Amino acid sequence: MNWMLYSLEIVMVLTGLGILLLDLGTPARGKRDLGYLGAFLLGLLLLQSVFLPEAQEGFSLMSSGNSITAAPGYTLDPFARYFKHLFILAAILVLLMTVDFADRLRHGVSEFFALVLFALAGMSAAASATNFITLFVSIELITVTFYVLTSFQRDQFRSLEAGVKYLILGAAASAVLVYGIALIYGATGSMDFAALGKESTGTAAQDYILQLGLLLVMAGLGFKIAAFPFQIWVPDVYQGAPAPVTAFLAVGSKAAGFALLMRLCHHLRPDLQALAGTVLAVLAGLTILYGSLCALRQRNLKRLLGYAGIASAGYLLLGLLALNTRQGGPTASADGCHAMLFYLAGYLFAVMAAFTVICHVSRDGEDEDLSILTGLHQRSPLLATVLTLSIISMAGIPPLVGFLGKFLLLQSALGALAERGAHLWLIIAALAGVVISLYYYFGILRAIYWGNGIRTDEVVETRPPIILPPTARLTLIACALILVLLGIFPEPLLDLSSRAVELFR
Amino acid sequence: MDIGVHHYLIVSAVLFCIGLLGVLIRRGLIEMYMGLELMLNAANLALVAFSRFQNNLEGQLMVFFTITVAAAEVAVGLALIVALYRKRKTTDATDLTSMKL
Repeated sequence: MNWMLYSLEIVMVLTGLGILLLDLGTPARGKRDLGYLGAFLLGLLLLQSVFLPEAQEGFSLMSSGNSITAAPGYTLDPFARYFKHLFILAAILVLLMTVDFADRLRHGVSEFFALVLFALAGMSAAASATNFITLFVSIELITVTFYVLTSFQRDQFRSLEAGVKYLILGAAASAVLVYGIALIYGATGSMDFAALGKESTGTAAQDYILQLGLLLVMAGLGFKIAAFPFQIWVPDVYQGAPAPVTAFLAVGSKAAGFALLMRLCHHLRPDLQALAGTVLAVLAGLTILYGSLCALRQRNLKRLLGYAGIASAGYLLLGLLALNTRQGGPTASADGCHAMLFYLAGYLFAVMAAFTVICHVSRDGEDEDLSILTGLHQRSPLLATVLTLSIISMAGIPPLVGFLGKFLLLQSALGALAERGAHLWLIIAALAGVVISLYYYFGILRAIYWGNGIRTDEVVETRPPIILPPTARLTLIACALILVLLGIFPEPLLDLSSRAVELFR
Repeated sequence: MDIGVHHYLIVSAVLFCIGLLGVLIRRGLIEMYMGLELMLNAANLALVAFSRFQNNLEGQLMVFFTITVAAAEVAVGLALIVALYRKRKTTDATDLTSMKL
C-alpha cells in the first residue's frame, strides 16, 4: 500500500476525527478555538503538500526512493496538486470564518469543523481521481457532507429548507451520474477515464450507449458546477446555508467539479470530444446569460452572489471549449485549462473575502438584504474596502486578479472558436454577461456607499460600528492584498498554473 | 428464451424512468426519496448486468460503493426530513417556499 499517495487525504480525515475527540474534553467556551487548531494543522499540511514528491505512472509495488507510484484510479500529478493547494487554502479560510460564526451555530461547532475537513478530503480526492469509482466516491463524500453542513442551523427554517432542496436535487444528480457511469462502463468495459480515449471497436449501438452515458455523467458533474439546466438548487441553497458553508460550496465544491470535468474531457477521443464540445458550448452560453440576467433583480446578498456564481461557472466552461478542439492543437487546450486554473485561484480569494465580510455584517437570523451594507464604509472602513476589492475582482475590472482570469478565459475561447467558427453567439453572450455583471456588482457597491438605510419597519436604523476580531482582520487584509498583488504581479500564479496543466500539452 | 444484456438494460431503463417520474411528479419528500432510491438501483442493475456479461468485476465493485453511499445518503436524508417535520409538521415539498427572490 502506497501511503504517501493518499497522505494528504488521510491527514485531513485524521485532523477531523482528532477535532471530534478533542471536543469531548473541551469546555463549551473553548470549542470554537478548535477551529484555529484545524486551520493551523491545515497550514502545516499545505506546506507539506508542496514538498510531496510527484507520482510516477505505472504500477510497481515498490515505491523506489523518493517517488510515489500512481495507483489505479488515483494519481498525484501537478494538476491534482494545484487543486489540492486551492482546496486546503479555501478550507483554512472557511475554518477561520467559522470561528467568528460559531455563536450562530448554537450546537455542534466542533462537528462543523470536522465536516468541513471531511468535505475537504473529498475535494482533494476528486482532484486525484482517474477512474469513475474514485470520481463517484469523492463526489459523494463532498455532497453528503454538504447536505449536513447546509442544514446546520437547524433552528432556522430557511437553513433546513435549503438542506432538503439540496438533498433531493443532489441525490437525483448522483443517480443520474451513476447511471451514466454504468452506461459508459457497459460500452467500454472499463472504469478508467483512459478507456474513453480508445478508438471505438464496438457496434453503433455501443457508441450510442457511450454517448448517452457521457451526457449523463456530464449532467451529474454539471450539477456540482451549477451549469445551466442543473443550477436550480443554487439560489435557495446559497441563501439558506450558513455563510461559511455557502463560501465553501461556491469555491470548493465547484472547483472539484471542474477538476473532474477537465480530467474527463482531456481523455475523450475526438468524436466524443466534438459531442462534449458542442454541449459545453451551448451550456456555457446559457449559463452565463441565465446567471447574469437573474442576478439583476436580486436584493439578497447571498442569493445575488449565487447567481453571479452561476455566471462565473459559465465563464469557466469557456475554458473547457478550448480543451475540446483537437484542431487547435494541444497548446490551445492547455491554454484553456491554464485560464481556468488561474481564474479559480483568483475567484477563491474574492469569494472568501466577500463571505467573510457578509459573516461580520449580517446579524443572526437576519435576511442578508443589500440594505444591511448601508454606510459600511463608516461602520468599518476595512470591511467596506475588502468587499469593494473583492466585488471589483469578481466583476473583472483591472488591475485586480479577476480581470486577468476572465480575460484569459475569453481569449482561450476566442482561440478555440476561431478554429471551428459558427459559435460567434457564444462570444457575444459572454461579453453581454460581462456588461450585465457590471450593473449588478455595482449595485452592491452602491448599497455600501450610497445606500438608503435598512428597510425594516420603515425606520431607517443607524447601526453601530463593527469591531472585528484580530484574526478576521488578518484574513481580510491577506485576501485583499492577494487580490491586488496577484492582479499587478500575476507571474508567480501564472507559472504555477501553467506547470499544473503540463499534462494537457 | 435467451436472456441477454439488453433485457437487463431495458428493465433498468424502465426502473430509472419510473424513479425519475416519481421524483418529478410526487410532492411528498418521502415518496420523492423512494423514487431516488429506485433510480440508484436501476443504475446498480445495469452495472451488475454489464459486469456479468463482460466477465469483468469492476462493475460489481462499483455497486458496492453505490450501495454504501446510498445508505449514507438515506441516513442523512431521513434525519433532515425528520428535522423538517419537527419544525413545520410537514413533509410536503410544496411547503418549502420560505425563500422567494
